[in-house]
Amino acid sequence: MITGGQSFVSSPPAFSNDGKKLLVCTGATVSVFSTSTGLQVTELEGHTDRVTSVVVVPVTGPASKFMSFCWTSSLDGNVCYWDFAASELVKKVNVQLPIWSMVIPNMPNAIVQSNEKSSSLYAFLSVEDTSKSADQQKALVGQIQIFNLRNARRVGGLLAETRKPECITMSNSGEFLGIRNKRKLHIWRVPSKDFKYDEIKKIKLHHTKNLSALAFHPTERIVAGGDVTGRILIWRGFGRKMFSESLHPHSREKFRNEEERPGVRGNDDSDSCSTWHWHPSEVKFLVFSSDGAYLYSGGREGVLVVWQLDTGKKKFKPRLGSPLLYFSASSDPSLSCISCADNQIHLVKMPSVDILKSISGIKPPFAVPDVCEGLNGGVVFDHSSGSVVLRTENYCIQFFSLLDNLEASQVQVCERNHQPVDDVMVVVQLIALSRDGSIMATVEVKLPEEGIGGLVNLKFWAQGSKTGEYSLSTVIYEPHSESGISALAFRPDNCMAVTSSFGGDFKIWVNSSDVQRKDQILQKSGWRCRSVGAYKKRPMTAAAFSSDGSVLAVAAETVVTLWDPETNVLVAVIGDSFTPIVALSFVGDLEYLISVSRGSRPQLVVWNLLKLSMHWSYMLSVEAVAASGGDGSKFAVLACPTREANAREQDGIILLFEVDDPVPMSTWSVKKARGGNLAFLSSNLFPQNPNVTERRSSPLLVYVNGDHEFEVFDPHGNQSQIGRVHRKNPAVAEEPSKVRFGYESIYGELPEFDLKKDQIPEIPFAPSDRPWETIFSGPSHVLPPLTKLCSTFLESILERNTTLKD
Amino acid sequence: MAAADLQSYFPAESSAAVVPPPRRPHPSTPESNFWRSFRKSQLSPSFILPVSSLDFSPTAPHDLAVAASTSIHLLDGSSISPKPYSPLSSGFSDLAHSPSFRSDGALLAAGDSTGLVHVLDPSHSRPPLRRLRAHTRAAHVVRFPKSPNDKLHLFSGGDDALLCYWDIPSETSVLSIAGAHKDYIRAGAASPVNTEIFATGSYDHTVKIWDVRVSPESNPVSSFNHGNPVESLLFLPSGGLLATAGGNVVKLWDVIGGGRLIHSMENHNKTVTSLCLGKFGDGSDGEQSRILSVSIDGYLKVFDYAAFKVTHSMRFPAQLLSVGFSPSGSAWVVGASNGTLYFGKKRTEKKEIVGSVASEFDGFVAEPQKRALRPSYYRYFHRGQSEKPGEGDLIVKKAAKLKLAEHDKLLKKFRHRESLVSALRRGNPNSIVAVMEELVARKKLLKCVENLDVDELGLLLGFLHKHATTPRYARFLMGLAKKVLEMRAEDVRSSAILRGHVRNLKRMVVEEIQVQRSLQEIQGMISPLLVIAGR
Repeated sequence: MITGGQSFVSSPPAFSNDGKKLLVCTGATVSVFSTSTGLQVTELEGHTDRVTSVVVVPVTGPASKFMSFCWTSSLDGNVCYWDFAASELVKKVNVQLPIWSMVIPNMPNAIVQSNEKSSSLYAFLSVEDTSKSADQQKALVGQIQIFNLRNARRVGGLLAETRKPECITMSNSGEFLGIRNKRKLHIWRVPSKDFKYDEIKKIKLHHTKNLSALAFHPTERIVAGGDVTGRILIWRGFGRKMFSESLHPHSREKFRNEEERPGVRGNDDSDSCSTWHWHPSEVKFLVFSSDGAYLYSGGREGVLVVWQLDTGKKKFKPRLGSPLLYFSASSDPSLSCISCADNQIHLVKMPSVDILKSISGIKPPFAVPDVCEGLNGGVVFDHSSGSVVLRTENYCIQFFSLLDNLEASQVQVCERNHQPVDDVMVVVQLIALSRDGSIMATVEVKLPEEGIGGLVNLKFWAQGSKTGEYSLSTVIYEPHSESGISALAFRPDNCMAVTSSFGGDFKIWVNSSDVQRKDQILQKSGWRCRSVGAYKKRPMTAAAFSSDGSVLAVAAETVVTLWDPETNVLVAVIGDSFTPIVALSFVGDLEYLISVSRGSRPQLVVWNLLKLSMHWSYMLSVEAVAASGGDGSKFAVLACPTREANAREQDGIILLFEVDDPVPMSTWSVKKARGGNLAFLSSNLFPQNPNVTERRSSPLLVYVNGDHEFEVFDPHGNQSQIGRVHRKNPAVAEEPSKVRFGYESIYGELPEFDLKKDQIPEIPFAPSDRPWETIFSGPSHVLPPLTKLCSTFLESILERNTTLKD
Repeated sequence: MAAADLQSYFPAESSAAVVPPPRRPHPSTPESNFWRSFRKSQLSPSFILPVSSLDFSPTAPHDLAVAASTSIHLLDGSSISPKPYSPLSSGFSDLAHSPSFRSDGALLAAGDSTGLVHVLDPSHSRPPLRRLRAHTRAAHVVRFPKSPNDKLHLFSGGDDALLCYWDIPSETSVLSIAGAHKDYIRAGAASPVNTEIFATGSYDHTVKIWDVRVSPESNPVSSFNHGNPVESLLFLPSGGLLATAGGNVVKLWDVIGGGRLIHSMENHNKTVTSLCLGKFGDGSDGEQSRILSVSIDGYLKVFDYAAFKVTHSMRFPAQLLSVGFSPSGSAWVVGASNGTLYFGKKRTEKKEIVGSVASEFDGFVAEPQKRALRPSYYRYFHRGQSEKPGEGDLIVKKAAKLKLAEHDKLLKKFRHRESLVSALRRGNPNSIVAVMEELVARKKLLKCVENLDVDELGLLLGFLHKHATTPRYARFLMGLAKKVLEMRAEDVRSSAILRGHVRNLKRMVVEEIQVQRSLQEIQGMISPLLVIAGR
C-alpha cells in the first residue's frame, strides 16, 4: 500500500542544527527533507495521529554534525524522542491528551544530558481536554500543562485554560513563553535554572482585537503580536514590574506614570506599545530575525513583509502566490523557510528573500462556486504515468506522481495572475486526459459579474517531450455558446472528444490534422467540431465513450442516449432514473454501462446494453465510479452514506463489484470521501516486490480523498506486493565536509569562549567554500570592520588561485 | 524551480502555419551596386513639354542634345547643365524631334513636325546650316550613320511613310522611298558597322532593313514583324543584333540570320518608348553592354542581353519617353512626358596621390591622422553607438520591449475606471470589449460603470449604441447596456446629452428587432426547403 499526498503545512516545520535538513510534519509522520536538494530523505513513523510540533534538540559545537535528536508531539497523546539521522524512535512518553503544541524551554545540551540522567526536562504542552464535552459552547477545552519528560509525570497545575488549544510560542533564550487567548497575550517567565513550578510568573497584555500571532525578540524584552485585522503591536519592555528580580523590590516600586507609557492599555506591564498596520487581513505569523533587527510578518495576501524594528520601515517580498502560514528560521541566519497554504514550503535565502528551493506537496482542495463544481472534485488520473491530475487555485493543473509522492509538473491553463485575496472569478472546471496521456483537454469558466460577461473556454493541449508537460494547441471560446459544459471525455483512440452541455446539446470534436487537403499549404493542426447532437432539447449531463470507441453514451438528464460517434446517429435510448444522471461509465466490453444519479433519490444503476435493460441497481449516493480498464468486468464505487450537509469530512465506503453480481466483492471504509475520486491504475506503473515471483497484472486501486491524500492498494488484498522504494538522494551521502559560516568562514575555528560574554549574535554569512562571495553579505552592523574584511577578502582570492595552480 | 519562474510560464504550441519570410531588401549584386552608384537628380528648371528624344554626342565631352517643344536644347556632357547658347531654337516653327549627332560630333541634325530636317552647328547658336525639305508630315526619325567614314549623309523618316537618304552638302535626297512603310515611321537606327545600312520601324508593326547600295526595287533588304507599333530601334554594337521596342515588349532579332527572333522580354507594364545602349562596369575590368529601356509605366530597366534577364530597374514618378547613356559611361539621362529630365551622374572619386609619392621614397608610410575625440566634440557623445559587432563577438540580444497600450498600463496599476475610459476614447471596439472582460474577471466592471461621470457615461452609451448589436459582442454588450441603464437612470434623466444617447439606443433596439423579425421570416421560408432537400 502506498499512501501520500499529506499536507506539509499543517504545522510549522523545523530545521536541524546544521541547517541541512528540514523536519516537516506530514500527517502522522515526520518527513525529513534535504534543504540542498528539496527531496525527501527519510520519514519518522511512529505516531498514529497528526503530528503537531517538532522540537529539535539544540546541539552546539562540533557534535552538531552527528547529534540529531528531536521531540515530536502528536494528537494521539504521545511525545516521542527521535534520532532523525537514523530515523529511529528512542523514547515515547504518553500524555493521554491530544497535544496541539509543545515547547521545551531550557533544554540541556544533548551531551550534558546524557551524563546526568537525573536532571529533569520540562515540556510545556498545549493539550485538548477531551473530558469536557464538545457540546458546551463555552467549555474551556484548551489547557497549558507542564510535563516532565524524564519521568513522564505532570508537574504542577494548569497554567491557563482557553476556549480551544492554543499554540505556545517561546523566546529564543527559553526565558519567556506566551500564548494568545482571544484579545489577550499571556506571557510566562520560566526561570532558567533550578526550575520550580512556583517561580513561574505571568503577565497579561491586552488588545482590542483578537490576536492571531505572537513573537518574542531574541535579545531584548520586546514582544510582537498580530491581530485578525492585520495590525501588528510591539510591546517594549514588558514585564518590568512583574518579572523584575526580587532583589530590589522597592527600587522598582516607583514606576513611570501612565502618560509615560504610550499606547499601553490599562494596567498592562509594559513600557510602551506601538502599532504598525500594513496587512489588510489577519497576520498569520510574526518572527524576529536572529539578530533582532527585523521582524517578518505574513498573512493571507501572500506577501512577506520585512519590518525594520527601529524605524518601522518595511520591505516586501510579493508574489509568493498563496497565503503564508509559517516562517521558520534555521541556525544558519541566511536560510529560512516559508510555508504556504498551497502546500508548498519555500526555502529562502534570508537577507535578500530569494527562493532557493520549493518543496511542493499535492495542492489542497479549494472552494469553488457551486456552478463550477465539477465531478470528482476536479481530480483525474493520468493512466500513462501513474499520476493524479488536479486543478489548483492559481489556474494551474498539477501533475502529482503517486509513486514518488512528488510534484511532477504544473501546467498553467489560464494566462492570469492569481492573488490570494481576490475573489475567484476564473475556475478550471473540467480536466480530461486521453488514455495514453498524449492529449489533455481543459474547460475553464469565467464567472459572470452580476450576470454579464461570463465565458466558457475549451482548451486542447498536446503533450510535450516529457510526461506532464503540455502545450496549448487549440482554444475554443464558448463551445456551447453561453451554456456551461457538464462533461468532457476522450475516445480511447485519442482522435475524438466529446463535450456535453447543460444547454441541451453535445459536440464531437476531432483533431483536424488528420484531414489533409492537397491544395492547402498551411497545415494547421487543431481541434474542430465535427458534429452536434441533441435529444429533445434536454440538458446533457454526462458523457462517456465505450472502450473500443464505437458507442457514445450521453445522459440527457434522466435517460441515457446511445450514439454512433462516427455517423452521429442515435442508436438507442435507455432507462429512466428519478434524478438527473451525473456520471456514466462503461464496464468491460460494451456490455454494461453504469449510471450514477444524485439528488433527493440517488441511484447507482448497471445497464445491460445487449438487452437494453437495467441489470441491477442500488439506492446509493455515489461520489465516484471507476471501471477497471480493458476486459475486466469489475468496478469500484466510492459511496457516501448521505450527500446532504456541507460536512466536507464525511466518511465513506469503497465497494468493489463484479458486474454480474450485485453483492460487493469487498468493501473498505474510508475517511473524507466527499470530493474524493477512485481509479484503477495498471500495476506495471508501480514497482513490485522482487520476492513475489508471480507477477499479477490485476490493476491497483487508487483512492484520493477530499483532502487530496491518496492511497494506492491492491483490491485483491496482496498487501506485500507493492511498496514505495525510497529514493536515495545524493543529499544523504554527502561527505561530512566541515561547513563554516559566519565568523568562522573568515577567521577559522574559534577557541571556546565564555558564552556569557559572547552575546553578539552570529554573523549571517552563508556557508560557502568561496568566502569572498559571502563576506560582504548581511546587514552592515554585524560585519567585522572593513579593514579586516579587506585583507581577508584579498587573501581568500589569492589562496584560491594557488590551489587552482596545483 | 523558483515559484516565480513557474508562474510566468504559459505553454502554447507554436503555430504550424507557414509564416511568409520577412521582406528583405534584394541582395546587392555588383550590377545593382553599379547602377546605384549613379547619383540621381533632375534638371531644373524642367522643360514644359515632353522630352520626346535625346542624343549624346559621340565625342568628348559628350554633349547632350534634347528635343523638347520647338527647340533643341544642348547640355554640357560632364555637368548635365544647359550650355549658355542653348536652346538652338532658331528656325524651328513646330515641335522638334529626334536630334542626332554626326559621328564626329561636329554636326547635329533634327527633324520637326512640319517635316523639315535641320542640320545645325552644335558649337554655336546660329541659323541652321542646311534645311532638308522633302517630308510633308512630321519627320520623327533623323539619323546620321554611326561610322566615322561617312560624314556627308543622313537618313530621315516621317509620318508620311517617306524614307529619304540625304546628301547633306547639296541638300538633295540621294534615295527617296515613298511608302516605305504602311504607317508612320517612328523609329530608326543606323548600323554601327556599315555606313550604308540602316533600319526603320513603323506603326505598321514592321521593322525594315535598308541598304542604300542596292536598287530601290530590291529594298528593303530584310523585313520582320514586331507585332506591335514599333517605338524604338537599337542596333547592338556587333551590328548583327537588333533590339526593337513596341507595345510593352522588347524583342531581340538576329539581323544577319534573316530576322530570326532571339528573345522577347516583357518586363514593362506599359508601352516601351525608347531604348539605348548602356555600359556596365568601369574601364579596369572590362565593360559589358546592356540595353536600357524606358516605358510609360515609369520604369527604367537594365537588360543583360547576354544572360537574357533584367539586372536592375529604377522607378520614376512620371511617364518616360526617352533615354540616353553617355558614351563616357558617366551619366544616364531619362526624359519624361511632363518635361522633367532625370539624370544620374557617376560619382567621381578624387584620387589624392599628392604627398604619398614622396613618402614612399622615404620608406615611411604616413598613417592617416585621426583626430582624437574630446568631450568638446559633438561626436564624442555618440562614439561607439553605431559600432557593428565583430566576427568573434558574442551578441547578447536585448529583449524586445513590450509595448503596452495606455489602458493596459492603467489596468496594471489597478486604475480600472481610467482604463475603461482610455479604451473608450481610443474607440477600438476589440480593445474596449477586452478591457471590459478583464474588468469582469476582476469583478470591477459595474463599479466602474457606477463611477463614470456624465461625459464618460456618454462615451460608454455611444459605444453601446454603435456596437451592442455586433454579433461578436452582442451577448455581452446587451446585458451591459441593460445594466448601465438600470444603474444610471437618474443621471440619464438629468442630462440632455445622455437622453439623446438613450434615444439612439432605443432606435437601435427597434431596428434590431425588425432585423430579427425579418430573419425569422427568412428562416421560416428556408426551413421547409431544407427539409425537402434533406429527403
